[in-house]
Amino acid sequence: MELQKFSYDNRMTRNFAIATIVWGVVGLLAGLLIALQIFIPWMNFGLEFTTFGRTRPVHTNAVIFAFVGNAIFTAVYYSLQRLLKTRMYSELLGKIHFWGWQSIIVAAAITLLAGFTTGKEYAELEWPIDIAITLVWVVFGWNMFGTILQRRTSHIYVSIWFYIATWVTVAVLHIFNSLAVPVSFLKSYTLYAGVQDALVQWWYGHNAVAFFLTTPFLGMMYYFVPKVSGRPVYSYKLSIVHFWSLIFLYIWAGPHHLLYSSLPDWLQALGTTFSVMLLAPSWGGMINGLLTLRGAWDKVRRDPVLKMFVVGITAYGMSTFEGPLLSFKTVNAISHFTDWTIGHVHIGALGWNGLLTFGMIYWLIPRLYNTKLYSTKLANVHFWIATLAIVFYAVPLYIGGITQALMWKQFTPDGFLMYPNFLETVAQLIPMYTIRAFGGFLYVAGFLILVFNVVKTIQAGSFVYEEEAQAPALEVLPDGKTSSESGHRFLERKPIRFLIVATIVILVGGIVEVIPTYLIKSNIPTITSVKPYTPLELQGRDIYVKEGCYNCHSQMIRPFRSETERYGEYSKAGESVYDHPFQFGSKRTGPDLAREGVKTGKNYKPNSWHYNHFIDPQKMNEASIMPAYPWLAKKEIDIQSTPGKIRAMKLLGVPYPDNYERQAIADLKAQADSIAKDLATAGIQTDSNREIIALIAYMQRLGIDIMNKPVKK
Amino acid sequence: MHTNDEDQLNKQKEVHQEVDDATQIKYFGGHEYDGIKELDNPLPPWLKYLFYVTIVISFSYLILLFVFEDEDIVQKKEYRKEMMAAKAKTDVAVSEEATKTATAAPLTEEQILAAGKVIFDKTCLVCHGKFGEGLVGPNFTDEYWIHGGKPEDLLKVINEGVIEKGMISYKSQLNKTQINNVIAYILSLQGTNPPNPKAPQGEKIVKN
Repeated sequence: MELQKFSYDNRMTRNFAIATIVWGVVGLLAGLLIALQIFIPWMNFGLEFTTFGRTRPVHTNAVIFAFVGNAIFTAVYYSLQRLLKTRMYSELLGKIHFWGWQSIIVAAAITLLAGFTTGKEYAELEWPIDIAITLVWVVFGWNMFGTILQRRTSHIYVSIWFYIATWVTVAVLHIFNSLAVPVSFLKSYTLYAGVQDALVQWWYGHNAVAFFLTTPFLGMMYYFVPKVSGRPVYSYKLSIVHFWSLIFLYIWAGPHHLLYSSLPDWLQALGTTFSVMLLAPSWGGMINGLLTLRGAWDKVRRDPVLKMFVVGITAYGMSTFEGPLLSFKTVNAISHFTDWTIGHVHIGALGWNGLLTFGMIYWLIPRLYNTKLYSTKLANVHFWIATLAIVFYAVPLYIGGITQALMWKQFTPDGFLMYPNFLETVAQLIPMYTIRAFGGFLYVAGFLILVFNVVKTIQAGSFVYEEEAQAPALEVLPDGKTSSESGHRFLERKPIRFLIVATIVILVGGIVEVIPTYLIKSNIPTITSVKPYTPLELQGRDIYVKEGCYNCHSQMIRPFRSETERYGEYSKAGESVYDHPFQFGSKRTGPDLAREGVKTGKNYKPNSWHYNHFIDPQKMNEASIMPAYPWLAKKEIDIQSTPGKIRAMKLLGVPYPDNYERQAIADLKAQADSIAKDLATAGIQTDSNREIIALIAYMQRLGIDIMNKPVKK
Repeated sequence: MHTNDEDQLNKQKEVHQEVDDATQIKYFGGHEYDGIKELDNPLPPWLKYLFYVTIVISFSYLILLFVFEDEDIVQKKEYRKEMMAAKAKTDVAVSEEATKTATAAPLTEEQILAAGKVIFDKTCLVCHGKFGEGLVGPNFTDEYWIHGGKPEDLLKVINEGVIEKGMISYKSQLNKTQINNVIAYILSLQGTNPPNPKAPQGEKIVKN
């Protein structure tokens, strides 16, 4: 057979690799910053742009989409060409993909710090950026499938199955979760409300973990582990079984983020059970990775790259064991809203994503630059520092999370909460947060060693733009399935058919879970006393979203005695039907706010308390770890945006009266004036057009609709 | 034509029928991608059984919910159960506490004030300041009172709250002894002259 000569294009691989490293530094430093901010409230340095509520989304978006995202593209652009014995389909598409993605990241960082956010975790970016992401993702897919279709190998390797599943699922998740009604250039309201929004968001959120942090990395593992170790993949059969079961089951597991919330019981049960069933398919990946190293353990001992792979894959096994565990309601009742969850995700993020990426970079850079790694010793040092960092990071969060949850639940013998003041439970965490920040610092330090090592390696080598290769042309195989090949083997040489089957498999779970909440009324029982927000409250709610309050405060009282005693009546599905977006939150660094406005409730605070507390939380309680928000008293409410916001809400089905947008500004001013007057009686002089007034109005509205009882004056 | 292709596939298979030296496991014929080969290992049995077990657990769980509406899975029922159990336990504890208090030796003045301070620091300081100097809530260290300065006046405010001003009812958070202790502590603050006192509010009431 005649060999065809061609070359692999290394430019895009190199570009993505360097972007991975650059954004890695940014994302990790942002992480270290928020690890400090969480227990040192002045660490925003008095700036609104750097408060925890805005920097935390910068950290999560930077590490997920910038650091890990670029690492995925590095792996795809390197391995795809070689696994298919062909060049990337289009240099131009590659360039658009690369520069498009980097511009999105820059736009994301700027808008998030400036407070433009949709308020949905890991999907905070506003609609113009969402559209850009969709376009760039299509370009990536186009380039990938173009490459697959011009391949010289008859079949596609398991890595590519994972790349295909990643591509299609991320596209579906991103598009459906981002659907929104724009109000202005950088403000929109999500299409979904309350419980439905929560369901769609966590269908997205959990599968961002599954299809952005997991499946592409499994693809990466299937390429780099055998490549680096020179060992064959442990089991082809296992790779088939765990691939299909993983992508089918994962998509159902989202509701486990909403256990004990106002989500219907049947959905919670699906979240629990599908998470439990995910254990074996996840471990299938771990086993296929680790057992591939059978016969190469002596190499693992010597090679820091393989060491990183081994610890990374083990971390994957640990966090995919912990995931099903946390999906049991009994465990979730303790772990949810605490730092346990943060510890859990970082085992995956720092271990699995981090170490696999580091290993790939250490192996790839010398090959791209036709040289040796500058220092294997330093890579070993990095390995040990990073591993130690994970321990220092996660262990205190496990201890802190469990401690705090138990304190929340502790009752005195005569039936009162042992720690009625939320802050008492926070004070316990400060030492843990300190140790965690040290763990984070170690991890950053290790990464800086990588940066140094990579720079030195690049300086010593010379970049190989084109890597010569040769392979026989694609042999023509029969169009239909032959009797001697298995069904799966047939699918492996029909990539478009593979894509279609994978798409169907990943759609099932989402369809079964989301559609019934629209069709079957009993899922979200209507409560007639629940009314739309007043214009001022709506503006206040937007400020709540803008400042990222949901990063630290939940609005979801779970049906536990310890929560109804602390916060009041547990949250009902019908209460959040006008909430675009939902603000249930996922972490309680501060107390729940779902019943904050209930005058007969446990947490009611007068307007003046809220005012003083926003300006200077430590004045109200010196142990508070909340940052101060003095600018809220200076900045004016964007009153002119009100009619547009009301119109958008009406479009989304919120029942404001006809032509209410004309009345809205007058109503807003009247309510604001009454709050300003009330503050004046408490000795606080403020103009009624300030943001703080709107936010106070929102605080006083929270949770009152179903608690309306006449209050005697 | 068709058979020719099949022959080709079979031939391809035979050519690659090799064994991995290190593990003595057969390679999958024809599977080679950029030098990566795949072994013909079966699924580890324990993993297969683990998968089956999780499926059985999951379906049992779903049956418990959908068919039996189990009280440990249906959220509403679970909550009701927890509240009933707590009530039963608390009733016993409260009656025991009552007999204990009745028989126990009365606390000394000092012990009462110390116990009161603990509660004050947990509950009251948020609005009334660390030293009772007043913050959002009124100053306890001057001689002025808005709702009266007698112990029974304070008891009423603590029990019922002054909702329009932000003082909530603490009836459900503090027991009778705790409330009495904290009243004693608050009354002891008068005349302590802490830093940053809030301006007097209400009427001047001079102790007799």
